[in-house]
Amino acid sequence: MGSQTPAVEAPRRRSFRLEDSGFHLVIIILCAFTIFPFIWMISTSIKAPDEVFTNDFQFIPDVPRWANFPDAFEYFPVDRWIWNSFGIAVLTTLGKILMSVPAAFAFARLRFRGDKLLFAVVLATMIVPGIVTVIPNYIFVSERGWMNTWTGVIIPSLPATAFYVFLLRQNVLQLPQDLLDAGRLDGATTIRLLTDIVVPNIKPAIAVVTILSFLGAWNQYLWPLLILNDFESKTLATGMQFFTNNVESAQMWGPMMATAAIATLPPLIIYAMAQKQIISTFVTSGLKG
Amino acid sequence: MVATSAQHAAAQGTATETKKRAWTWYRITEGMTPYLLIAPLLILMAVFIYWPLIYSSYLSFFDWNFVRPDKIYVGLDNFTRLPDDPRFIQSLKGTAIYTFALIPLQVLLPLGLALLLFRTRTSRLQGAYRVLLFSPTVIAYSVAAIMWLWIFNPNYGVLNKALSYFGVDAIRWLSDRDYAIWAIIIVATWKTLGFHMLLYLAAMEGIPKDYIEAAQLDGASSWQITRSIRFPLMTPTFFFVLVTTVISVNDDVFAAINVLTNGGPFDSTTNIIYYLYQQGFKYFQIGAGSAVAVIVFVVTVFLTWLQFRFVERHVHYG
Repeated sequence: MGSQTPAVEAPRRRSFRLEDSGFHLVIIILCAFTIFPFIWMISTSIKAPDEVFTNDFQFIPDVPRWANFPDAFEYFPVDRWIWNSFGIAVLTTLGKILMSVPAAFAFARLRFRGDKLLFAVVLATMIVPGIVTVIPNYIFVSERGWMNTWTGVIIPSLPATAFYVFLLRQNVLQLPQDLLDAGRLDGATTIRLLTDIVVPNIKPAIAVVTILSFLGAWNQYLWPLLILNDFESKTLATGMQFFTNNVESAQMWGPMMATAAIATLPPLIIYAMAQKQIISTFVTSGLKG
Repeated sequence: MVATSAQHAAAQGTATETKKRAWTWYRITEGMTPYLLIAPLLILMAVFIYWPLIYSSYLSFFDWNFVRPDKIYVGLDNFTRLPDDPRFIQSLKGTAIYTFALIPLQVLLPLGLALLLFRTRTSRLQGAYRVLLFSPTVIAYSVAAIMWLWIFNPNYGVLNKALSYFGVDAIRWLSDRDYAIWAIIIVATWKTLGFHMLLYLAAMEGIPKDYIEAAQLDGASSWQITRSIRFPLMTPTFFFVLVTTVISVNDDVFAAINVLTNGGPFDSTTNIIYYLYQQGFKYFQIGAGSAVAVIVFVVTVFLTWLQFRFVERHVHYG
């Protein structure tokens, strides 16, 4: 303990400090709290009915029942739900990127009549809670016969991008002016500046917006819940509700948790892969902007 | 004007005139480009955010059920009748419970956790801690609720099993009106713990090292540094978390309510957002639902305004 030289604390020590063990204990308890539902879900997803409805506490079942996964597809059109979740998430993300990148560029680097006002109009949408627009948008979608369609889910959710426009604009603002001036001198049109100079230089930010937007669309609940009523048209996040109507039967829990595991897998994989970017972008652009 | 002179110039057909025409054309398209770039975004925002705001306000003056062809004008009745609806009053109670219970759980608990993580930041376990604590944030709320539905199961749920070791009798978590709202509050705490913790951590890591080192040289203890340097510099983040919690907490729990309790038992787990949903899409009271939407919007704007005012005055920027 006292072997340390008195001068200055070394800034980065990768050692375990005994006096911190109490802190570690508290953190580990909270980690257990956050991770337990995941573990319990996986555990139940491979349990046979007789091991589901039991009073024993067991993480790994005696006989893992992998058949819960195919059974889930048997009971409900889970394959359709996966496809719908995936298609809606991809197209929503694509639409949001195609809308928000050009707008972010325009608001960051172009001067035009009304630019400040229009940017305020964009940002102001952030304070409109989604629930407030739900009834009129529902009427809009049903009048156009978009119920139970991807279109009905995707189009009205596209303009919820103010945060992404803001985030991308911050990144465009950080590009050196020389870069754009050089392009101008070469006679590039504004569109060329966007496609050839701005987009390649803000790729990391676009990647993050892509990830956040995909996660948001994959996980969205209220809007698809209202628009997708058919059995077949549901997404994973909304279709899972059908399982919950049968919670009294032990047969249902295994396949239900199997479906839940499938639904959580893509977000967790994406998060694991892009963890650093997600966190740093959230943190730097989301707050300090 | 520009167009006619361009046409006129084109008629001349000389090389310089052609150049001039190209230049004019260039100026017109370049002048329009900014508007083209923002048009898709602004049009969609107008149609699906701004117009619905206006249309909701309009609908709040009518009695309508989605299908009847005529809307009946009822003036302010949709607003004035709300206090007479016991389900509305119950939803306000729920809103208050969610808000006040979740402020400490979503604002202070993550702050404490962030301090612990910051303290142990040089540990090898740090990366693992952050991944584990953040993971509930990235999954769907509805799927998270499904996971908890099983944990809360009164007969075979693992929570009651665990409690039975301590001699606690089985609790009907989701069907007992004294417990159901707390079950949802547990899920909501679980869902946002890691996210808010990371925001705090980032704020702490963003504090310039010089400040800390200067204080250390002056002999400040680590708690003194936290209290007198870190906390004041973290106030913007603290207020951001506080206000977003207040504004969005009732919105966020919607999926948990809908999956776990459907607002029951006896409407004990509803809040204002769930009440709006029920009015609109269960009872088809479009006017009443729109009236609630208007109220929710006005309150949100007010809270946001309050945030800006307060933060301007009382927050230290680093």
